[in-house]
Amino acid sequence: MDALLTKTKPETKQLQKISGSETLLRCLVAEGVDILFGYPGGAIMPVYDALYGYKDQLNHILVRHEQGAIHAAQGYARATGKTGIALATSGPGASNLVTGLADALIDSTPVVCITGQVAEHLLGTDAFQEMDVINTTLPVTKWNVQITEASSIPSLVAKAFFIARSGRPGPVLIDITKNAQFEMIDEFEYEKCESVRTYSPKPTPDHSAIEAAADLINNAKKPYILVGQGVQLSGAEKEFLAFVEKSGIPVASTLLGLSTLPTNHPLYVGFLGMHGNYGSNVQTNSCDVLIAIGMRFDDRVTGNVSKYAKQAKVVHIELDKAEINKIIKADVAVHADAKEALKALLPLIRENKHEEWHRRFAENNRVEHEKVIQFDYYPLSEALKMGEVIRELGELTKGEAIIVTDVGQHQMVTSRYYPFRKTRSNITSGGAGTMGFALPAALGAALAVPSRQVIAVIGDGGFQMTLQELGTIMQYQIPVKIIVLNNNFLGMVRQWQQLFFEKRYSFTEMSNPNFVALAQAYSIPAKKVSSRKDLRSYLSEMLNTTGPYFLEVVVEKEENVFPMVPTGASVAEVLLEPETKK
Amino acid sequence: MKQEFTIEILSDNNFSVLNRIINVLNRRRIRIKRLMAHENEDDFRKGGAIILVHTTPDLIEKIKHQLEKLIEVDRVNYFSGSEHNITLSERLVDID
Repeated sequence: MDALLTKTKPETKQLQKISGSETLLRCLVAEGVDILFGYPGGAIMPVYDALYGYKDQLNHILVRHEQGAIHAAQGYARATGKTGIALATSGPGASNLVTGLADALIDSTPVVCITGQVAEHLLGTDAFQEMDVINTTLPVTKWNVQITEASSIPSLVAKAFFIARSGRPGPVLIDITKNAQFEMIDEFEYEKCESVRTYSPKPTPDHSAIEAAADLINNAKKPYILVGQGVQLSGAEKEFLAFVEKSGIPVASTLLGLSTLPTNHPLYVGFLGMHGNYGSNVQTNSCDVLIAIGMRFDDRVTGNVSKYAKQAKVVHIELDKAEINKIIKADVAVHADAKEALKALLPLIRENKHEEWHRRFAENNRVEHEKVIQFDYYPLSEALKMGEVIRELGELTKGEAIIVTDVGQHQMVTSRYYPFRKTRSNITSGGAGTMGFALPAALGAALAVPSRQVIAVIGDGGFQMTLQELGTIMQYQIPVKIIVLNNNFLGMVRQWQQLFFEKRYSFTEMSNPNFVALAQAYSIPAKKVSSRKDLRSYLSEMLNTTGPYFLEVVVEKEENVFPMVPTGASVAEVLLEPETKK
Repeated sequence: MKQEFTIEILSDNNFSVLNRIINVLNRRRIRIKRLMAHENEDDFRKGGAIILVHTTPDLIEKIKHQLEKLIEVDRVNYFSGSEHNITLSERLVDID
């Protein structure tokens, strides 16, 4: 702590009075914050004024919209595991954060948002840019707090960081009134928060539950592991790998769990859910023990809950107690952090291979390859398909890039086909399904981890929701590679209209701008590819270019993503192609 | 089958805590039949609420965990029927 204080300001200034705004910045420095994403405005101006003097310690990135700030903070957090920071002004500045807060809450992303607020005496008076930010953001934050006096800033900022990063991580919002930003306090003292009276973020695993889980796992003939983001969030990749390799149990991943286990690992059997792999869905309804680790049985994973894994005993390892028995009843519930639970479980697990059981997945995989994957990888059509773009990208990057996806068809195709090799390589909007997430999240990830290649894969619809962040990428020369898969449609909605609404394409076709010219207007090198013969060389050029690059890939207009679990169907009723639909 | 449950919540006494509690119930569309919120007479930083709701046994158990998940909420208990609601509320009235 002393070292941090010494680092933040020369010793001679320790006894000088400092403003609430500077207090806030010192707190951020003490918390190890290096990058802030933000947008100034009236009620946050004192903080921005103080930031001017902290340029050497806090790298502020001026985004082009507050939604961009929070998504960038999310990208930063997801790539590093550290807490992302977004800064905004009151009123519309704060309300523009709401989508990102909801996204971060459902996807367990540690973010601290700081909003300016009108002076305390103006609260509730409908003052200019005054909004009840606390109540507006209450349902979409893990915690929020309004600060009206400067002396409360250190303790409440410390509490905010602790809550955001501990337990199941999530977004926290701090709303600071303007008078508190201006107010002078006598001295700065900061102590990191390590506990909150009413909050128990790290439960101790119940040993009897661990033993019961081990017993079920050891006696299972067809055990099956579903891995969610909880393993990455708890930094339990090593323990998870040891558990999986010792037990020999097949592993399927949720959308956010992708990249926990390399996709070429022999025990990895695929991606779960509505557009997941055939075998990983079908075998959910034939396993005898289902071991869910750090996941929450989202409806995109379960399909029809009343027909989900009814034959199986369920072991649910989960840190968030409210998720246990929320959707799927657990026969054995281990309420614990994944790392702690896996550490405790590992010595109790017997070595096994489950070869016969694995053969079923292999057979399912063969069928899916024959009916779907080979045509996605190597299409017979003239038009480019999304699957071949991702295959080429995977080959060229050797699966080592951080892939940031938006929401829709391209997201599902990328999740199915990108050969993830390293943990924390998959950044996407899962639970909230926020179109417009990818571009700002990618710039946040690229700033967070400059040593890794960051590639945003986005649809033409989602790209146009936050494309203003090209300005941020231009200004800071952030080396994001942007691939827009352009089918001139809101593709996933169109797919549903085709399959379930008698092909009534109601307002899903899009007339798009000249994307290449648009990117070039932001001084970002850009190209467009529409033929197979150019695809690989254009992708290579993109990857070999220093700095940002934009590549528009024109893909088949009416491509559908399969397999698919239709709404209301069970995971075992996953369709490999539309004509098999009853 | 829906029935009456009394939820007893012990929490910090912050500005927004009651809104957070109500929000959990509203989101699940649970009908609130009676509500009493209070500040702890020994320590104004603590407080709580007693709420009579109309819901199912399955949902009340899930709600308990969702309420306990709120940062400022310390403990949540629930009881079948309104009897506890009356007892707990009377105790609070006596205190006041």
